[in-house]
Amino acid sequence: MSRVKELQKSLFGGTTSNARQFGMIFTLVAIVLLFQILTDGLTLSPGNLISLVSQYSYILILAIGMLMVIVAGHIDLSVGSVAAFVGIVVANVMQDYSVPWFPAILIGLAVGALIGAWQGFWVAYVGVPAFIVTLAGMMLFRGGNQFIGNADTIPVPEGFRTIGAGFLPEVGPDTGYNNLTLLLGLVVCVAVVIREWRGRRTRREMMADVAPMWISAIRIVIPVVVVVFATLQFAGGRVGTSFPVSGIILGVLVVIYGFVTRNTAGGRHIYAVGGNARAAELSGVKLKRVNFLVMMNMSVLAALAGMIFVARSAASGPQDGIGWELDAIAAVFVGGAAVSGGLGTISGSIVGGLVMAVLNNGLQLMGVGSDRVQIIKGVVLLLAVALDAYNKKQGRFSVIDSLMRPFRRDAALSPASAVEAGQESGKSPVAG
Amino acid sequence: MRNILVRGVAAGAIALLALAGCSSERSGGDATASSSAGSDKGFPANSLIGVALPAKTSENWVLAGDLFTNGLKEAGFQSDVQYAGSSTTVADQQAQISAMVTKGAKVIVIGATDAAQLSTQVEAAKQAGATVIAYDRLIKNTQGVDYYVAYDNFKVGELQGQALLDGMAKKKSSGPYTIELFSGSQDDNNSAVFFDGAMSVLKPKIDSGDVVVGSGQTDIKQTATDGWKAENAQRRMDSLLTSTYNGDKTLDGVLSPNDTLARAIITSVKGAGKPIPVVTGQDSEVESVKSIMAGEQYSTINKDTRNLVKQTIQMVKDLQAGKTPEVNDTKSYNNGVKVVPSFLLPPVIVTKENAAEAYANDPTLAPLTK
Amino acid sequence: MSGAPVLLEMRSITKEFPGVKALSDVNLVVRAGEIHAIAGENGAGKSTLMKVLSGVYPYGSYSGQILYRGTESRFSDIRASEQAGIVIIHQELALVPGMSITENIFLGNEPGRGGVIDWKVANRRALELMARVGLEEDPDTLIKDIGVGKQQLVEIAKAFAKDVKLLILDEPTAALNEDDSQHLLDLLRDFKGRGITSIIISHKLNEIAQVADSITILRDGKTIETLDIKADGVDEDRIVRGMVGRELHSRFPDHTPNIGEVFFEVRDWTVRHPISADRLVAKHSSFTVRRGEIVGFAGLMGAGRTELAMSLFGRSYGTYVSGQIFKDGQEIVLKSVSDAIEHGLAYVSEDRKSIGLNLLDDIKTSMVSAKLSKISSHGVIDHVREYQAAESYRTSLRVKAPSVDEGVTKLSGGNQQKVVLAKWMFTDPDLLILDEPTRGIDVGAKYEIYGIIQRLADQGKGVVVISSELPELIGLCDRIYTVFEGTITGDIDRQDADPELLLKQMTSAKKAQRS
Repeated sequence: MSRVKELQKSLFGGTTSNARQFGMIFTLVAIVLLFQILTDGLTLSPGNLISLVSQYSYILILAIGMLMVIVAGHIDLSVGSVAAFVGIVVANVMQDYSVPWFPAILIGLAVGALIGAWQGFWVAYVGVPAFIVTLAGMMLFRGGNQFIGNADTIPVPEGFRTIGAGFLPEVGPDTGYNNLTLLLGLVVCVAVVIREWRGRRTRREMMADVAPMWISAIRIVIPVVVVVFATLQFAGGRVGTSFPVSGIILGVLVVIYGFVTRNTAGGRHIYAVGGNARAAELSGVKLKRVNFLVMMNMSVLAALAGMIFVARSAASGPQDGIGWELDAIAAVFVGGAAVSGGLGTISGSIVGGLVMAVLNNGLQLMGVGSDRVQIIKGVVLLLAVALDAYNKKQGRFSVIDSLMRPFRRDAALSPASAVEAGQESGKSPVAG
Repeated sequence: MRNILVRGVAAGAIALLALAGCSSERSGGDATASSSAGSDKGFPANSLIGVALPAKTSENWVLAGDLFTNGLKEAGFQSDVQYAGSSTTVADQQAQISAMVTKGAKVIVIGATDAAQLSTQVEAAKQAGATVIAYDRLIKNTQGVDYYVAYDNFKVGELQGQALLDGMAKKKSSGPYTIELFSGSQDDNNSAVFFDGAMSVLKPKIDSGDVVVGSGQTDIKQTATDGWKAENAQRRMDSLLTSTYNGDKTLDGVLSPNDTLARAIITSVKGAGKPIPVVTGQDSEVESVKSIMAGEQYSTINKDTRNLVKQTIQMVKDLQAGKTPEVNDTKSYNNGVKVVPSFLLPPVIVTKENAAEAYANDPTLAPLTK
Repeated sequence: MSGAPVLLEMRSITKEFPGVKALSDVNLVVRAGEIHAIAGENGAGKSTLMKVLSGVYPYGSYSGQILYRGTESRFSDIRASEQAGIVIIHQELALVPGMSITENIFLGNEPGRGGVIDWKVANRRALELMARVGLEEDPDTLIKDIGVGKQQLVEIAKAFAKDVKLLILDEPTAALNEDDSQHLLDLLRDFKGRGITSIIISHKLNEIAQVADSITILRDGKTIETLDIKADGVDEDRIVRGMVGRELHSRFPDHTPNIGEVFFEVRDWTVRHPISADRLVAKHSSFTVRRGEIVGFAGLMGAGRTELAMSLFGRSYGTYVSGQIFKDGQEIVLKSVSDAIEHGLAYVSEDRKSIGLNLLDDIKTSMVSAKLSKISSHGVIDHVREYQAAESYRTSLRVKAPSVDEGVTKLSGGNQQKVVLAKWMFTDPDLLILDEPTRGIDVGAKYEIYGIIQRLADQGKGVVVISSELPELIGLCDRIYTVFEGTITGDIDRQDADPELLLKQMTSAKKAQRS
């Protein structure tokens, strides 16, 4: 095995589905560097990184929920409307009923959960396709937003704005940086090192090949370098700004949901349902419960995203959330999820979302109009998914192909069956 | 073995510390943040001026964008003129303003999509040392707005109300006159100002019974047109015609806040086969001027975008030179947290009679009036 | 047969995929008017060879020559080979379920002008073609409303619509019951009488021995031998020897059953069809399973064996009407699949690909998927334990894969089946229900699967085997129940079991316990 391959394998876990993720991370880095050059260094400047995070954190939060919905084989078109609805409800209870901001957030999450339960009920227990249920929800809750808010804009109090427009506060001695952001960066670096060290231990316990030391070194040094760089940039922004609170919320959610989808039985059930619902059911997976929870979870995250946006905008307006579902869905697909479900990762979706975000931001920095930005984003989405189809033809792993192969007539067109043939023929005759 | 790791990490970290240190924005950050927009010193003549406008939903915004691009260039500035996207308007505009701040714009001119949802970005701009000018629409609930430039919108409303009365009197010598009221999008601060201006003229007539609102819908929440969209106005007019004017009842006049909506209303009335009532308008859009000359729409308002942009650019020039820009109203425009110094331009009412005169200087509209 | 002229000759065909030589210097000679069988284990290169012949792999992507009717043919795609009269019918039928028989027969080959279909002509010709293959149905019937056997006939009619000269059948009887298989084989002989040449790929060696004139055996992508069935006196054992490269003394491993007490009993089990409520798919069925016993269920396709098994397995099929399940003397109520797993039941479905496995999974994920609780604590999966569990099954069941990280799609049918077996062994079941456990699997792998089943029984588990192959049931099971139209009609001990008796019980409601 060549060193590059070995590196790719050990950096991204080795399975071929991760090749796509490798590609996406590479694309992200390339786009960042491209815009860094085109904008004369503005892209990675502290101010821009900070606004990038606060501008897109709510879309990325939606992408987390959307990934799980799409992996389970559904879709949710209502997230924008749900976000807008929860936003106006929360703004309203704070304005008209003088509810303090923290209980208001809890109310918002509860409303999200209720809406999610409503949609989940129709999808899981009645069996209406999620596309229809959430299309209905899209109209329902958009109307609800206008009904409650009278199509008006309702401002929210200062305390509430923290979750969308707040930053880590300035504490401790004057180091020329935001101290809490530095601390956060340090914690992340330590986590990276611990994770790699534990990964090696696990491999050893499995009696599997442990990657060479130099690979571990790379796996630690690259992320740490990135984290240190980002930390210094975020901590070195204008006084009063630092790492956005919404970015911290996003980070916590990514860690939690990343763990849930990778390491828990519940997470694995989502993939099982999306990969083959009947097989999952016959393996004891409670299909309805999984579908219900996935839909419900999406609405709770939509509620959170809606509140973060309202907090950032300082007011809830009638146009909140329009088009968000499409941004979230695009992020998930650019990040390598399969349209038919069963495949995709949280980290992939985040990377996919970041690709779209950096693209948007970089083009804006260059002064490209929003009309052309949309055209370019559309092309990128198409290319990202087309690349998958192209790879399939080139004989590399393909999500879509591996889904379709068992059902196709000319099955051996795909090289995987050639491998199958090769494996069989390589072995001695079957023992008797 | 682990030593390699530790050493590698340390080396990388040190290299990056050096790299990142250069781009910290903290050095002297306090000074920039506390100085108020730097109006006492001015700024270099080739600085970047950002202009953030709403989505291209009316001709006026497109024209304004072109005028800003050219005008700022002539004045020697660099310009960055952006329109919000057609669907995700608010979020787009927020991102665009942030980008302008990042690029170090000295003045940011904002035609807000939703005047109440930009405070975070405007304050960030302010802290980065930029001056914020609200263009045409006042930005609400923030200390961050420095100036407001607009046509006198209350006056616009008054002129519309008066034109409506005059037009109906011309067609029918005596009342009572039956009318319907339309207003703009509720998230636009100006909608209420137009409407209040018009109602200040119409209300006494309604109270005296000279003028009757056929449907009885006089509340601004009932008359609002979501997103200033023609389709919404047309839909509402369609329903009014079916619900209120299905018999012999005639509709004499419609108060429309702008030209796009006026034409939508006329389309609806024509579709229902009813005689076209007196319809007001605003913005002097090409199609509406044609319509006025053809005798369909009754009036429009000439708020020459050229003058508004010219005035705004003048303000930018003053700021550049370190002068305080001229304002003519320091009392009327309270955005919720402060009274914003404003420069108001006077609007002109245009009907078929005075069209040729009003548009004499307009290269696009003048030929239409001949 | 050797006197007849050569219709097709494939000369030293070599086909390589990146890194793999799927065919290496393969030769095939087919004479006009014969039935030529191709045999070989899975992965021996049979399908690849047929794809080369039919143009799926176009000229240029392989080396070697194809001589068809005396001239060299260079097919660029399937259409080109079909125009030459070579039609291939795949194991997975290519019919559109929602379309009628006529529509399917002429799909892509519609009679008519300028894209407008002439339905009169189409229907008349459809009836002619259906008569030729012995299919008695209304041509307007939808494909989804007829059985697999008849669907197979539609496929053949479709081939005739294209004026076939050389008909290639890939595992034509794999999904058919005995009757339908017999009909199909008769049909092949009939075609032969009419001068149509056929190539048949089959795992069912008895069928080959019965119907074929000559046979070419492939192993590891190479031609091993071509035999004349009659002249060389070829029987099943001879074919197996060619396929696996040595004698296979018995098709079943030696086994001495160690049967204990009855521990699982079903009484009066009645289940309604999920859609048509007046149809009962299981009628007052009662049966028992002893510890260490392998119990067979024989029946024709559609007799309700699968339906019975799935309805027992947490009511995963149909609507429960009545009946009781006892395990170790206690009545148990299984309202969901997870209940069933909890109570030590396991059901290995007949359809690995569509309901047995998640084809996106790798081996280890599949193996642990039915009992994640065993490798997790508080819902958090321990990847080390998962890996170790999967690895131990990979070794003990001899799954041929480089590692448990391999995707299940990359495995052959036999190895996939081992993964499914491992998945259910992992749940520590007391009773395993195996539905067609060796369908589509080659001889060698079958032998291994039988061994696994016997080992499971020896561990004191009860094993229920549902199979359409009577020799398999007779060779493997200690006791066999026969099922006819939802009713259990017989309970036959191993020593009494012979095909004749079984068939009789499978086709009559003699011992019916009607309601």
